[in-house]
Amino acid sequence: MVTVTIDGKSIQVETGTTVMEAARDLGIEIPHLCYHPELSASGGCRLCIVEVEGRAGLEPSCQLACADGQVVRTQSKRLSQMRREVIDLFVSDHPLDCVICDKAGACLLQKYAYEYGVSETSYDLEVSRSLFQDDNPFFLRDHKYCILCGRCVRVCNEVIGADAIELAGRGFESHVATPFDGPMIDSSCIFCGSCVQVCPTAALMPVSRRGKGREWDLDRIKTICGYCGVGCQVEYALKDSRILYAQATPDAPVNGEFLCTKGRYGWDFATHPERLTTPMIRRDMAYELGLTDEPWHLPDASPLAVQQPKIEDSFVPVGWDTALDLVAQKLADTVKENGPDSIMGLASARCTNEENYVFQKFMRAGIGTNNLDHCARL
Amino acid sequence: MTNSISEIRDADCIFITGSNTAESHPVISYEVVRAAKRGAHVIIVDPRRIPLVRQATLFLQVKPGTDIYVFLAMMHTIIREGWADEAFIAERTEGYEAFKAVVEEYTPERAALMSGVPAEQIELAARIYAFGERVDGPSVYEEDRGHSTILYAMGITQRSNGTDMVMTLANLAMLCGQVGQPSTGVNPLRGQANVQGACDLGCLVNVFPGYQRVTDDEKRLALAQAWEVEELPGQVGLTIVEAMHAVAEGKIRAAYIMGENPMMSDPNTSHVEQALRGLDFFVVQDIFPSETAQLAHVILPAASSLEKHGSFTNTERRVQLIEPVLPAPGEARPDWQITAEIAARYDKKMGVDRQLDYWRYPSAAAIFEELATVTPIYAGMSVDRLRGEGLQWPCPDAEHPGTSILHVGKFSRGLGKFNPVEAIDPAEQPDEEYPLILTTGRVLYHYHTGTMTRRSEPLDWIEPHGYVEVNAQDAAAVGVEDDGFVVVKSRRGQVNTRIKYSEGVSPGTVFLAFHWREAPANMLTQDFKLDPVAKIPEYKVCAVRLENPPEKNLVSRRESEKVR
Ligand code: SF4
Ligand code: SF4
Ligand code: SF4
Ligand code: FES
Repeated sequence: MVTVTIDGKSIQVETGTTVMEAARDLGIEIPHLCYHPELSASGGCRLCIVEVEGRAGLEPSCQLACADGQVVRTQSKRLSQMRREVIDLFVSDHPLDCVICDKAGACLLQKYAYEYGVSETSYDLEVSRSLFQDDNPFFLRDHKYCILCGRCVRVCNEVIGADAIELAGRGFESHVATPFDGPMIDSSCIFCGSCVQVCPTAALMPVSRRGKGREWDLDRIKTICGYCGVGCQVEYALKDSRILYAQATPDAPVNGEFLCTKGRYGWDFATHPERLTTPMIRRDMAYELGLTDEPWHLPDASPLAVQQPKIEDSFVPVGWDTALDLVAQKLADTVKENGPDSIMGLASARCTNEENYVFQKFMRAGIGTNNLDHCARL
Repeated sequence: MTNSISEIRDADCIFITGSNTAESHPVISYEVVRAAKRGAHVIIVDPRRIPLVRQATLFLQVKPGTDIYVFLAMMHTIIREGWADEAFIAERTEGYEAFKAVVEEYTPERAALMSGVPAEQIELAARIYAFGERVDGPSVYEEDRGHSTILYAMGITQRSNGTDMVMTLANLAMLCGQVGQPSTGVNPLRGQANVQGACDLGCLVNVFPGYQRVTDDEKRLALAQAWEVEELPGQVGLTIVEAMHAVAEGKIRAAYIMGENPMMSDPNTSHVEQALRGLDFFVVQDIFPSETAQLAHVILPAASSLEKHGSFTNTERRVQLIEPVLPAPGEARPDWQITAEIAARYDKKMGVDRQLDYWRYPSAAAIFEELATVTPIYAGMSVDRLRGEGLQWPCPDAEHPGTSILHVGKFSRGLGKFNPVEAIDPAEQPDEEYPLILTTGRVLYHYHTGTMTRRSEPLDWIEPHGYVEVNAQDAAAVGVEDDGFVVVKSRRGQVNTRIKYSEGVSPGTVFLAFHWREAPANMLTQDFKLDPVAKIPEYKVCAVRLENPPEKNLVSRRESEKVR
């Protein structure tokens, strides 16, 4: 353990902890672009520089290990001046399109440009990358906004293990690329969107939100992913009750900032036109009940053999009251005739605890059978 | 899981078997990647070269159904070499001698012969697992043995000897004392959002909420009192596969199916369809007109998990709240409201008189409040306490912080029991007529029977149709080129699908995922031999053959891309 003092506050940390990390533990935010708490430090952007007492030079805090007795300052005139210069350089190669940018309000470069009062570059604006790639329905790659922080490359390698992208080329040529700059689908990308999640700028953006709303206009609701059993927490960003995109937040207990492709991009099923919206009774039973005039028989062909089965062909829509009453009546008739064990109930691994509880209570306390299963085994 | 997901990144050795983690539980695979990057050993035992093998330090590619020999031989080696954790065995377990005698028979040489994995690799895996060895980098644990964790999934349980398989992995962990500490344990990865919760809340034939046996008179009586009914059924019920057989015998007459799609998910589809058609009455409650709903008499529209309040329990036993994000479409309602309304009306038809609010709960929160009172492992939970990070069961009282690691210092049953397990071969073996072994599973972009993911634009874009993965050698034998159509046949049925050449499966093995209605894998799987205890069908192994389709239809990859 070592003790350091940062901006007048002392803290004891494990040997090997960086000044950046120690500062975060103290609740002190040091400006940073390439650093991300879940990734290795790369020391590329130099925005996180700090002053260390007794040393002349400035050190990037994301790579500086804490030493016992060290005294660190994260704010000073000199540091502000240096940081302004760093930002100035970044915006000389990054169009300040903030007025039309979807990322505005969540962009780190914009945030620091604002904090350090950099409204335009003092150099000649020269955007060295112009590639725009919209080769997949998950995310867009707009290289003119890329600041080469390398977060995307690191997350893909260090956390996802996909190694789909790398920093290719040198100098003005350098950019984030798939092998041979090919489309994402031909790379080893698994479309988890983690690169989009950690990108500090608008260089990587979800397709689904393009031009649909500004950050500050969005509502945010956190819930749990409905797909697999990992139980990732997902935060949905909505406008006018429509989902624009999904992301994860660092405080998610299971997954932190990470999701898989299903959790991050697979939410549009909910508004698919084939959603069931009204109770329905099959035509032959509806006919028996006098709800339709046309007799009908269930075709022998398996529903699996039919290309695009249309539910309206075999069912008539009815009100809730009719449907619920029919179900209750039929179940009651069956039990009266054949006993409770002639009923089988299937609960669901996709329904909530509350729903499964009520379901099994109905089967047991209502009907009186333990013929009750779900696809835990399947 | 006995342990928690976030502990995986600190493990020294991760032993993965029967789990295609990167595709079925991607975010857990990220934990494995992190551990591997820090120098942990990752050992994978699987019939397929699954994507996570990229991170593995040791990959034992077994013939389907022979992994049991590998596990037994690992334990044989550990005992023979004196690598077992004798202190742990003496202090915390029982039945060791009987178990040891059985394992004696299962040498690495015998396992090599059965599984195709060299004996030296099995011995190496045994040593690395037993001692929690690392490739490099420092361990976060400062003990003699590093910490080894076992991750497994349906590849182990969906077998006619699935219960044996799970006990074998538990034996392995106990043998090396890799239980009850962080980054150890035996960790089943559950496939669906709330499969853990559905089990916890008693949606099983043999247990009430909180795993209280239906045959336990005392527990049954107590629950009957809590629910204010005279008695509750005390006989173990029929599982879904058993029930499907019982329809033909006229024993099961009606079914109520909530959010499940047995036409796609259950083995031997033709038989399932026959059974469903044979029911006098059958109601399905779902969000989409699934293949199963198409056959129902009544369909009730349900709200999806994005449209309601409630809670899910994840694979590490963490109960977390869900929140409505969207309005439910049309007249769709949360499932609990529908079931409760049916129950109330059913009572009336049966002439049962209960208090008005017996079924008509005011909210999901009110249900949770009630279920916590009858589910001991949830007893200390409340909706208020679940906000934020949720709670991991067991959580027996309102002060209890929840349990991230099970079996610390003591097993829940007291002493850990070694179960002597013998190897059993899969029920259906390949023969001359059906010379290949079919194994089924999932792919990354789709989920279960595909009702949701196949209606998601981006997800279906990337994997719009099914395929059977076949080794080039077996493909050449039928003369179908890559991405051409092929017929896969078993004793139960056949499916037409595309072929995908893959180095991931060894000659003699083919793989088909079960998400695609055009290529329903479960037309092929068998339902005659179930695991005797868990009643799980053997999805992971059945015998098939490949045939050329009647009219040769060779669509090249390029053309199929244009269709996109
Ligand atoms: S989506 Fe995931 S896999 Fe693809 S490049 Fe980004 S981080 Fe890598
Ligand atoms: S794409 Fe984004 S994350 Fe990647 S290097 Fe550019 S700015 Fe950084
Ligand atoms: S985001 Fe992916 S890994 Fe996480 S719960 Fe959803 S499906 Fe599972
Ligand atoms: S954050 Fe430290 S160098 Fe970029």
